[in-house]
Amino acid sequence: MNGFYEFLHDNAIYIVTFIVLIVWVGIFFYLNNLDKRMKSIEKDIKGDKNEK
Amino acid sequence: MKKFEIAWKTLLFLLLCFVSVAGIAFPIVENPVHWYQYPVIKGLEENAKIIFFHVPTAWLTVIAFLMSTIYSIKYLRKKNLDDDAKSYSAAQLGIIFCILATITGSIWSKFAWGAFWSWDPRQTSIFALLLIYGAWFALRSSIESEEKRATLSAVYSIIAFVTVPFFIFIMPRIMIGLHPGAEEVVNGKLVQSSSPVIDFQMNSSMLLVFFLSLAAFTILYFWMWNLGYKSLIYKDRIQKQITRG
Repeated sequence: MNGFYEFLHDNAIYIVTFIVLIVWVGIFFYLNNLDKRMKSIEKDIKGDKNEK
Repeated sequence: MKKFEIAWKTLLFLLLCFVSVAGIAFPIVENPVHWYQYPVIKGLEENAKIIFFHVPTAWLTVIAFLMSTIYSIKYLRKKNLDDDAKSYSAAQLGIIFCILATITGSIWSKFAWGAFWSWDPRQTSIFALLLIYGAWFALRSSIESEEKRATLSAVYSIIAFVTVPFFIFIMPRIMIGLHPGAEEVVNGKLVQSSSPVIDFQMNSSMLLVFFLSLAAFTILYFWMWNLGYKSLIYKDRIQKQITRG
């Protein structure tokens, strides 16, 4: 356990990098998901117009 | 078209992954030998790494407010409500990036100047900018009529943007301050303090990461802006469809 704390203490900058990477991956997939949903709404709206 | 979309999204993903790793984990050393080492910049030392995140957010604040003004002018010329949505979405992102620039800047100032907030000309000017654009959102939310809201906020946005160059570029440079690039007193004389970005004190690898960061954040901004204004436009259309029955 002590070894693990020492590792965290000595490599704090890599842990920060890792957390920032996780946050960025989360933001990216959230935006990508939003983009997909937006496109399906766009299709629906265009489809409604064509029906009329 | 689909291939192009996959290409820029992959590029953005990889660019920001690289900037996150290179911007945080690459070491700052006295005499850089390897490509992944950054030089020590006098006065900034280890704090210099925040350049990769603080400067792009400030840059995007200006881009977003500029785009908001351009679409405001477009709205006033053509009276198309889609332009108002584009202007509103750009201003929303502008205020988000302005808040991020303020937060990253105050974290930087804590380690460089000793306090999170010291009413330095740069901090005061960004605070004034936040208030000006904050009032813009208050103005928008207080008007119910769509056309009236769009016209008034377009006029306000144009007037508000006139202050941006003064608050971001001019005022912090002509006043005595702590921020790099501000005036400072050396041996009783007023001189311009050196700025790592403007004076290019960075080595080539640091410059590369810096410009990649600027590019990646700019692509991210345009993606977010695109999603933002489309959601506003579709929300409006769906609401109108529902009210029409």
